[in-house]
Amino acid sequence: MSDLKDLVREKLKDGVDAFLCLKDEEGTLLPALITDADSPELELVEAGGARYPMGKILIDLLREYPGKRFAVLVRGCDERALVELSKLEQVDLDRLVMVGLACTAEEARACGCTRPYPSEIALGEKAEAAPGRETIEEVEALSEAERLRWWKEQFSRCIKCYGCRNVCPMCFCKDCALENPHLVEPGVIPPEFPSFHVIRALDMTGRCVDCGLCEEACPADIPLRSLYRKMQEIMEEKLGYRAGESPDEKSPLSFLGSEQDIEKLEREQ
Amino acid sequence: MVDNGKELSYRLVPSTCVYCGTGCGVLLEVMDGRVTGTLPQKDHPVSWGALCVKGWAVHEFVHSERRLTAPLVRSGGELKETDWDTALAAVAEGLSRVAKEHGPDAVGFFASARCTNEENYLLQKLARAVVGTNNVDHCARL
Amino acid sequence: MTNSIGELEDAEVILVVGSNTTEQHPIIGERILAAVRKGAKLIVIDPRTIHLSSFAEVFLRPRPGSEVAYLNGLANVIISEGLEDRDFIASRTEGFEELKKAVAEYTPAKVEEISGIPAQDLVAAARLYAGADRASIVYCMGITQHTTGTDNVLALANLAMLTGNVGRPGTGVNPLRGQNNVQGACDMGGLPNVFTGYQRVDSEEAAAKFEAAWGVEGLSRKVGLTITEMTEKAAEGELRALFIMGENPMVSDPDINHVRQALEKLDFLAVADIMDNETLRYAHVALPAASFAEKDGTITNTERRVQRVRKAIEPVGEAKPDWEIVCAVARKMGASGFNFLSPEEVFEEIRKVTPSYAGITYARLGTRGLQWPCPAEDHPGTPILHAESFPIGKGRFTPCEFREPAELPDEEYPLTLTTGRLLFHYHTGTMTRRSPSLVREIDRAFVEVNPADAAELGIRDGDRVKVSSRRGVVEVDAKVTDKVGKGVIFMPFHFAEAAANLLTNSAFDPVSKIPELKVCAARIEK
Ligand code: SF4
Ligand code: SF4
Ligand code: SF4
Ligand code: SF4
Repeated sequence: MSDLKDLVREKLKDGVDAFLCLKDEEGTLLPALITDADSPELELVEAGGARYPMGKILIDLLREYPGKRFAVLVRGCDERALVELSKLEQVDLDRLVMVGLACTAEEARACGCTRPYPSEIALGEKAEAAPGRETIEEVEALSEAERLRWWKEQFSRCIKCYGCRNVCPMCFCKDCALENPHLVEPGVIPPEFPSFHVIRALDMTGRCVDCGLCEEACPADIPLRSLYRKMQEIMEEKLGYRAGESPDEKSPLSFLGSEQDIEKLEREQ
Repeated sequence: MVDNGKELSYRLVPSTCVYCGTGCGVLLEVMDGRVTGTLPQKDHPVSWGALCVKGWAVHEFVHSERRLTAPLVRSGGELKETDWDTALAAVAEGLSRVAKEHGPDAVGFFASARCTNEENYLLQKLARAVVGTNNVDHCARL
Repeated sequence: MTNSIGELEDAEVILVVGSNTTEQHPIIGERILAAVRKGAKLIVIDPRTIHLSSFAEVFLRPRPGSEVAYLNGLANVIISEGLEDRDFIASRTEGFEELKKAVAEYTPAKVEEISGIPAQDLVAAARLYAGADRASIVYCMGITQHTTGTDNVLALANLAMLTGNVGRPGTGVNPLRGQNNVQGACDMGGLPNVFTGYQRVDSEEAAAKFEAAWGVEGLSRKVGLTITEMTEKAAEGELRALFIMGENPMVSDPDINHVRQALEKLDFLAVADIMDNETLRYAHVALPAASFAEKDGTITNTERRVQRVRKAIEPVGEAKPDWEIVCAVARKMGASGFNFLSPEEVFEEIRKVTPSYAGITYARLGTRGLQWPCPAEDHPGTPILHAESFPIGKGRFTPCEFREPAELPDEEYPLTLTTGRLLFHYHTGTMTRRSPSLVREIDRAFVEVNPADAAELGIRDGDRVKVSSRRGVVEVDAKVTDKVGKGVIFMPFHFAEAAANLLTNSAFDPVSKIPELKVCAARIEK
């Protein structure tokens, strides 16, 4: 098994301009951008530990530095996010080199992950999937009326921090529907049920790559991942599509037109 | 795509949210010398990777148009831009004059619940050790 | 806080009083809800229906200003039903008999008369609180910003001692500090009566210690003036020069018209701030200060956790951090002892003179901070205060008598105005109102009116109304809502253009000197 430090050096020598990975800063793991193969920061890089929205950071980096090429350490979900983001024309995979990291069995269990590894693994050992469907099953066991009540109760804790949106690698719209005063009344907590949460769940359909970062960031511990995952399951069952899996297959929702056109239409309304 | 020649730099700087007294852990995203975003610190012992809406937006006022960017001194009834040395001399002169003419207790200091410990320490030291008054308070009560 | 935020999840019962936690300390609010999900029972006491009240087992909505009455009432029920913790009272406290006598007359029926809390609800709350093995009290400005603020806090402490809810995980009396570094500003001696670490300026020993540490002679032993008193003295012409660092009294302080007169009267006013603000209009010199992103330093949160802020970028424009500004002013005044090259050097001096900070270093703080007291470098910090004993030996019960607020509604001003904060804004809005995501949520002042009062006054939701008190008048939008009880109106104080503090009363608590921002008499007209 190779060492992350060597991989970073190798990629920088191979012509990428910077490597995005995690480093240890005073005991806390943070995303770091390494630009120099001789940087002392290299001694601090870590493979794994914490999880951050790498896709989100890369959208910004690729935009801010249009001529540059980046390498990035990706987990399974990061890879899915980047693949889907490229289909949505948010990242340019030609300027990206993904270095795969397999999650540990423990991480897979903690995430309830259906695919805890990227397509090519450079670091770590492939662990078994550990699909955590407990919450989904709990809700499925309820009657429809009870389900609504169950979700309403969950969302009554929401303090409209927007953390679920802010941290989500797949949320990148300039004009966010959650901020549209005609759809969600501003300044009110908890935000209206169900509009705020249904808007977000619908926006994530066919897009969510099941990384669970939203749920991790939710101060109210609302089981967001289970909600979005159920939507993906329905999508997969009915339309046979899973976000972030194959780079060439477009989302069936794109039959409506391109993402940009839809956004434009929304703005005009 | 063409390289815009900007030097590649992206850092996350661990800090603390400056709004309420909860003191959540934030990471400031810095690109090209500007604070461009905020992420929560995952292993923070109070906030454990969550923030409220203010914490997520804590970087937004940093580059506001309303920031004061130069020292101002009043002349002819208006605040006019000046250099630091002039402004600091005016403050020292203003405080010293009143303390001399009316006694140190004619001077007061508002410390701040929005400044750092170090800054509050220095301000009360200035009040007590230099001017000679205990008239120092902040808006803990408000 | 005597205890830590994380421990709230260990409590069996949480009593939230005078704190709209979800809006003022959102992440702590969510910890309280997490405790409720783990089985904790919640008691909420607030003049407004707040987010937390819908999760409460018992929700009491008293008239603002009746705190001592209902807190004594809770003690009355606990004692008369024999629910007090006798072992704790015997071994750790004194003054129980006096308390018992004092609260005897605050029967649930009498409390109902004073506060409007139904007698049986008060009894239910008392039983719930006293019945728990671990009960935590959380409070905020709704307790302190009254002319009886000190008594309110003492009455809460009485309840905790009465039931032995002190010094163990999931217990305690926990004030939530409104602003990010209120705790630190107090710890650092940003108060008229104490040096750092609450060492009294009128103690010969402490004053001598600081004279030696600072290399000066003749430090004043006379307790100084509070903000409210300084404003008063400035208006009278006795206080003539003021240096304001990072505060905006023209929005935050009670009775703003009076504050303006005071500031106008000053011979000299210097203001250091990051933003253009309302107070600058009266300044002779304005100094641009660096924001938290442009400097290093420490701040101390509500659970006494000292934490780092770190310089992320260079100061914008010509701004300088306040620590540099204060040092430069001191040096210009000819002082020595202000030649610091970094905040860390300042911190090293702080810990030399402050026993509770003595063991803290920047290196130890790292990214997670340390909770004071931390007396030595090998001390792990202190998550829970008073575990073994109180600083003064035994905890003393302090009987308190109910007194009415300084200003009561009358014919001319028939409503009770109470003020507070919103989730989306902070204090005087200098920072949050320059933040697009927060402004998008709400950027307009309003007044909440009970539907019954609104009907009587012919006011409909969204109407523009005039709210007035003896001190001023503002125009705002009316929000007709049963969040407030009949006879009570509520205004947030963040908005300078319709400042609630034009109306509030500057009458203050005789001990804490905290103004009565939570109660004044007011009137609404269309
Ligand atoms: S969601 Fe899956 S791939 Fe992503 S971090 Fe968790 S286990 Fe790894
Ligand atoms: S799991 Fe949450 S954060 Fe991740 S892609 Fe789906 S919605 Fe976004
Ligand atoms: S992260 Fe949770 S609390 Fe925040 S907006 Fe999303 S659902 Fe609401
Ligand atoms: S993120 Fe919210 S709860 Fe946390 S310190 Fe900031 S304002 Fe307070």
